[in-house]
Amino acid sequence: METGYMIVNLLGCVLIITSTLVVLSRKLKQAAYTYAIQSLVIVAMFLTLAVTCGSTDLYLWSGSAFITKVVLVPAIMLYAIKKIGPKADEEIPSKLGPIGCVILVVIELVVCYLAVMNVTLPTAAEAHPALAIALAHFFIGLTCIVSQRNILKQVFGYCLMENGSHVTLALLAPSAPGLVETGIATDAIFAVIIMVIVAYKIYKKNDSLDAGELMNLKG
Amino acid sequence: MDLSVLLIVLLVSPLIATLIMAALPAKSVGRPVYEGLHILSIVVVFCLAVYLVFKQFTTGQNIMAAAEWFRMDALASIFIALIGVIGFLVGLFSVPYIRHDVEVGNMDNGQVKTYYAFFSLFLFTMLLAASSNNIIMMWICIEATTLSTVFLVGVYQTKLALEAAWKYVIVCTAGVAFGLYGTLLFYANAASVLADSTKAAFWSEILPYASQLDPTVVAIAFTFCVIGFGTKAGLFPMHTWLPDAHSEAPSPVSALLSGVLLKVAVLVIIRFYVLTIGCIGQLFPSIMLTTIGILSVVVAAFSVYYQNDLKRKLAYHSCENIGIVALCLGFGGPLGIAAALLHSVFHGLTKALLFCISGNVLMKYGTRDLRKVTGVIKAAPATGTIMAMAFFALAGFPPFAMFNSEITAFMAGWSAHQYVVIVIFAIALTVVVCACAHVVSASVLGEPPEHMEKKDVPWSALVPEIILACLILWFGCALPQPILTGVDNATSIVLQQDVDPADTGSLLSGIANAVQGK
Repeated sequence: METGYMIVNLLGCVLIITSTLVVLSRKLKQAAYTYAIQSLVIVAMFLTLAVTCGSTDLYLWSGSAFITKVVLVPAIMLYAIKKIGPKADEEIPSKLGPIGCVILVVIELVVCYLAVMNVTLPTAAEAHPALAIALAHFFIGLTCIVSQRNILKQVFGYCLMENGSHVTLALLAPSAPGLVETGIATDAIFAVIIMVIVAYKIYKKNDSLDAGELMNLKG
Repeated sequence: MDLSVLLIVLLVSPLIATLIMAALPAKSVGRPVYEGLHILSIVVVFCLAVYLVFKQFTTGQNIMAAAEWFRMDALASIFIALIGVIGFLVGLFSVPYIRHDVEVGNMDNGQVKTYYAFFSLFLFTMLLAASSNNIIMMWICIEATTLSTVFLVGVYQTKLALEAAWKYVIVCTAGVAFGLYGTLLFYANAASVLADSTKAAFWSEILPYASQLDPTVVAIAFTFCVIGFGTKAGLFPMHTWLPDAHSEAPSPVSALLSGVLLKVAVLVIIRFYVLTIGCIGQLFPSIMLTTIGILSVVVAAFSVYYQNDLKRKLAYHSCENIGIVALCLGFGGPLGIAAALLHSVFHGLTKALLFCISGNVLMKYGTRDLRKVTGVIKAAPATGTIMAMAFFALAGFPPFAMFNSEITAFMAGWSAHQYVVIVIFAIALTVVVCACAHVVSASVLGEPPEHMEKKDVPWSALVPEIILACLILWFGCALPQPILTGVDNATSIVLQQDVDPADTGSLLSGIANAVQGK
């Protein structure tokens, strides 16, 4: 059991690295592939937890996470990037530089670790580091939305937030029914599809994916 | 027919309408078909919602459906009634409004189809959210309300409408993700306490075990829920999507967003508030909600005053009034909870009326700029009269409904010994009164623009507005007994104790008791 949670905590560290890379990716395609890799790490976490806790539901989760997070979300994003064409590869400078982003991620990690240390739930006892990482992951997603000017990149921010919630659920309630997980994952897929449709319509209207140009409504 | 079956029919009927409309090809099917299906959908929702709510209020029995997944208790009933009534009246107003948009070239048949299909989908998602007993389902439904309304906000497909739609979808999905995190923390916490963890997602199952939940987790989870669902409710500082979405959406959509959707998000906050006070007591949620509430009221009050765009002004009013609801919840006690619930209902009706009126102004003047909207009462007498009345109602003047809930809010604050807060609240409301009086004096009165024809909007647009105006006047003078009983029962659910009907059964007696320190 201890080995299982050690692997989960280690995978959590990989998770933080991949999510930081999603935020720092200069090209959208890079971000999509990095997101797919990160989702693969989440699937590995779910499988490790399934073996460690003996939860059959978690096997189902890892299957649905593979379909939705590793395949569907990156596929939707790559399709949108292809449809937009060369403009999608145009670099839009983010509001926060790479060093600023990394510093923020470290701060978020420390704060989340301190917050999670007080949680005394039995399921959290051995997974405090992973739990802190899951919470930090959520805030890294928020950082991505706030710091990025490319509106498709902001969609990745939402996906990171959703992934953070998902990992927290798996850590704290490994025996949660598959229906709960499926409902959340399905809703997230719809959210991504709708955000991508709106982003594409904005691109067609503005000929740009820059959120800085969406500043006409004020006051 | 069994009430459980009727509840399922109520939930499913707008979804069926949406699916039928979505399946019909916009190129060959004309507008009247979509209008017919839309009217059928809102009539069914109205009749079933009113019937079920009446049954619930008069018998006091919870209506359950699909095992424990849907639960219509007194608390849910108040919001389902709001969805049914406002959805129906605003839905009726939609017909002449959309016809006008088609006439002036703002919409084509494809957009009409989008509008009516998503209107019913919006009702469906709100009804699901209000009646859900499963906390994760509640989150899914609140998220679904964003997804179903984003195309309504951006239906005009203009640059500004798409900008508003993007801000709406990104702020609300990111905000509601906080709600997801909070919900999952509540769920995981309950799963570790309940013997049968499959029941841990059901609000009614968690409630008896609330005191056994982990206090740290509950405090973190409630904070996440307030941020998450508070974003959707339009509480400061997460309210930034609200003025953009409300101003760019078609007026009936703004009416539904402001009148109903914000309140449904408040209902979800109330559900988690009940669990939180059951675990860690009143102090933490009270401080949080009072702080957010008073900040929302103050910031929005000044924004209301300085705003010249009619719909943006109304949007900030929504932020201010949701702040009042949060403030009342923060005050707590039977009066505070009753005031929060009554204010949700009264503000919902009043704001739905005002957004419909803003639709009349747009149809007549073609602008939302209040500096260009003058002499409404001369140019369109019926619209002008209702507009003046609605702004006085929004300012909290008697004999309109919001006077009752606002005075109850003050009494709740007094009972909770929050004297500084109620003084700040009173100052903010004075600013709001000035803003409302200014709209009446500068836009309703005065001289209309030259060459403007003296002609009102069609009667089909005025009738739903007259009904809404009558409702806020009626509820301001004498609230019907079934509604009072419903509010009593809902207050009891929130406080998890029997509330003596003598205290809140008659608001005036409740207020009198509070003043006398009983």
